[in-house]
Amino acid sequence: MTESDSSNRMTAKEKYPWITSFLEGWSIFRQNLLGKIGLVLLIIFALMAICSYIPPWISPMYNPMTGVDPEITSCTPPSLRHWLGTDFMGRDILSQLLAGARIAFMVGISAAVMSIVLGVSIGMTAGYMGKFVDTLLMRLADMIMVMPTLLVVLLLSAVFGQLNIWTIVLIIALFRWPGVSRIIRGQTLSLKQRPFIEAAKVAGASHFRIIFMHIMPNVLPLAFLFMTFRVTSAIITEAALAFLGFGDPGTVSWGMMLQWVWKTGHMFQAPYWLLPPGICISLITLSFYMLGRAMDEVLDPRLRKEDQTD
Amino acid sequence: MELRRYIVRRMIQVIIIFFLILTVLFLLFRLAPGDPVSMMVDPDMTQEDAEILIVQLGLDQPIGVQYLIYLKNFFTGHFGFSFHYGEPVVDIIWNRLPNTILLFTTSIILSALVGVFLGKIASWHKGKKTDSLMTIGALVTHTLFLPWLALILIWIFAYKFGWFPINGMISEEVWLDPEAGFIAKALDVMYHMVLPLFTLFLIHFGAYLLIMRSSMLETLKEDYILTARAKGLTEKVIRDHHAAPNAALPVVTSVGLSLAFSINGGALTETVFTWPGIGRELVSSVSQNDYPLALACFLMIAGVVLVSNLVVDVLYAYLDPRIRY
Amino acid sequence: MAILEVENVSIGYNTKKGYLKAVERVSFTLDEGGSLGFVGESGCGKTTIGMALMGLLPPNGSVREGRILFEGKNTLRMSDEEIRKIRWREMAMIFQAAMNALNPVQRVGNQIAEAILVHDLSIGKEEAMGQVEALFELVGIPRDRLRDYPHQYSGGMKQRAVIAMALACHPKLIIADEPTTALDVIVQDQILGEIKDLQKEFDLSIIFISHDISIVADMCNDIGVMYAGQLVEFGPREQVFESPAHPYTKALLSSFPTVTGKKSDLIPIPGETPNLVVPPTGCRFCDRCSEPGPSCKTETPAWVEIGPGHKTLCCRC
Repeated sequence: MTESDSSNRMTAKEKYPWITSFLEGWSIFRQNLLGKIGLVLLIIFALMAICSYIPPWISPMYNPMTGVDPEITSCTPPSLRHWLGTDFMGRDILSQLLAGARIAFMVGISAAVMSIVLGVSIGMTAGYMGKFVDTLLMRLADMIMVMPTLLVVLLLSAVFGQLNIWTIVLIIALFRWPGVSRIIRGQTLSLKQRPFIEAAKVAGASHFRIIFMHIMPNVLPLAFLFMTFRVTSAIITEAALAFLGFGDPGTVSWGMMLQWVWKTGHMFQAPYWLLPPGICISLITLSFYMLGRAMDEVLDPRLRKEDQTD
Repeated sequence: MELRRYIVRRMIQVIIIFFLILTVLFLLFRLAPGDPVSMMVDPDMTQEDAEILIVQLGLDQPIGVQYLIYLKNFFTGHFGFSFHYGEPVVDIIWNRLPNTILLFTTSIILSALVGVFLGKIASWHKGKKTDSLMTIGALVTHTLFLPWLALILIWIFAYKFGWFPINGMISEEVWLDPEAGFIAKALDVMYHMVLPLFTLFLIHFGAYLLIMRSSMLETLKEDYILTARAKGLTEKVIRDHHAAPNAALPVVTSVGLSLAFSINGGALTETVFTWPGIGRELVSSVSQNDYPLALACFLMIAGVVLVSNLVVDVLYAYLDPRIRY
Repeated sequence: MAILEVENVSIGYNTKKGYLKAVERVSFTLDEGGSLGFVGESGCGKTTIGMALMGLLPPNGSVREGRILFEGKNTLRMSDEEIRKIRWREMAMIFQAAMNALNPVQRVGNQIAEAILVHDLSIGKEEAMGQVEALFELVGIPRDRLRDYPHQYSGGMKQRAVIAMALACHPKLIIADEPTTALDVIVQDQILGEIKDLQKEFDLSIIFISHDISIVADMCNDIGVMYAGQLVEFGPREQVFESPAHPYTKALLSSFPTVTGKKSDLIPIPGETPNLVVPPTGCRFCDRCSEPGPSCKTETPAWVEIGPGHKTLCCRC
């Protein structure tokens, strides 16, 4: 190895410090068996979501919502034609299951991103501004925190009638930011004391610039960790809502499938219909949860005090 | 003395929050699409009855007056009439509330106690088989989808084995039997409660186990544990009397934080098991567009969450002298 | 008669980076009623020695070689149960109270009574509380603070409570690990004075661990200077103070203000302590030494007698 070679390597590392920290994090993550299992399961679910476009393309009778097998009008067990059987109307359960994966990712990730963006912005603002703004925002957070999200969505659907899937996602996001914002606020409070923030202030940077250029990069890893937990909570809330019969009637989600089994009274007769959607919801929750715990270990373990039950 | 002041302060906070929720709900129902009369007055009522109710609810008044009447009605227990039952909402609420509280508090206390106990055991055996089994078991049960778990449990234990009733809270033959005493009735309710309780327990204990385990491992690194060991105490005394009481504090906090989550689960469980509680009433009133009942159920549930939060906080203060004094 | 003889003890920890040799071949003797102070920078192994004497090394630490004779019995050979029984009864420890040495959710009085009760099964709770009251009087805490929780105490009171706790079972040997760090100077002075008085009153043997050589000199008859896991100088305090032999001792003495307040320049010691996973060959202090000799880097230093009871581990002496 020549001297210029090694010096080049040095500058590359210095230029992109996130690469080294990512590699370091990855090597810790790799030692976590549960985290790896979670990641593999999530990749499988993602493949399912991608594959959900295939069955309707093969034949319109495999359309998860509207496709009915012309020869079947009731619930039938698995067969070559329908690998997981059909539901009470003769719709293919496998294609519903695949479509459900797509909805789960869509709901989970979009609700999580929205609630994290909200939580991070509010948390940074509260922590950075302090005083009156802080008190006001944190009281608001306390209030929203005691609200059971599922029942709030229920009540709103009573008032506003049937909610579509994006409204549901939006409401979940609006009610799931307080936990994140509390943590981010705490981080911001401690960052505020650091010299580089003081330096930026002295240099005349605006509040906006300090918050988004100096504080945000430092709280983002933590925010990313919380996203995995928020994904699960959004998926569960949507599934529970659909199970109770208040889901978006235009989408096929796993919760909706369970609702159909339950409402049509097939739960004791058709295990091939009852088991798959429930297993999928539980497993996707578990995988995000395990992934989150593994990432938690990668980040500073001292940061994890906040409860993660939902 | 200090504890009393702390409780009073928290109570005032709870009252303010409840008041805010009350106000937000009022605005929500008044600003909703459609007119308030159709939301609060049963469309099947006779013209005369409807007019009496409109006056009683102040729906013919300007919105500010309506709000005051709404508050007055709330505090005097006039929640209006249920469209579906045709009865005063307050009667339905009083009938359902105890059932919810029974199931909700029992499940939380049971899962927290078992979670703490098992979490302590898991931390003793850190890195061994017992520990990994418990951790994985807790992760899996905690992430099960509750309504699905409920259906599976009904399928196995009620349908296949027939050990427990499929749903409901009481059996008619016991309650209609004039001979049956209090104990027989209580046993009947407990018999019906086993599966719903087990469902909620399975979902919740895992979270407490995991928190207790990691909190216990952190606590064992504290200096006062070294002091206890240096004093020549046995390992058992160190764990049970020095580490566990400190380690359980985060569990208490998390019980408080997860109450809202638990009541969601409570409503789902009640619905699947047709347990006559307030959560199930909320679900069915929403699907029947029974607005007055839905509003009252939601308020009651919010009240239950807030009050249990207060209870948890007081318990925390009782367990941690740093808050108390 | 010697109450404690430590012979050739080496202690290490299994860490992620490898086996860390925290203490290497340390030997010393402590006479009954005597006092011995260990001084050195953080990480030099002084606390590790204290923990090893109490049998309180963390799970990843172990004594690799040597003997620790307490009243002639090798404590390293004792079972956990045997050593548990002599802990606190025979030898107790004064922890640094600022470090959370008291359990935050238990009343201070109860925590001390607990120590008495576990070792004396013949007395009841009330009698034990009576003894705690007497101990409080001894260390100067008002009796009505007995039922308080630790967070209600000031730093000095906490430290006094910790001392009272150490005396609870009338031990023969007390190991004091940085007992006054983090206290303000006046309280520190009071507490050190109290420890001295108590030592005389109960004829205690004391091992005093500190990073502050002036405190150790004030408290102890013998001084052991530690550097990078090794004892580098050992002797009566007058000798160590007046004619320090090891360059590290000299540097330590000039990096602290003197007890008498004599005016002299404080000289910081340059450099860092060596890595103890792979310790350097030869003298460990060589890289920071102000007057290294040509053979210091390669030659393993041996003990050199300088005066009666005064010896040092240096190639150049």
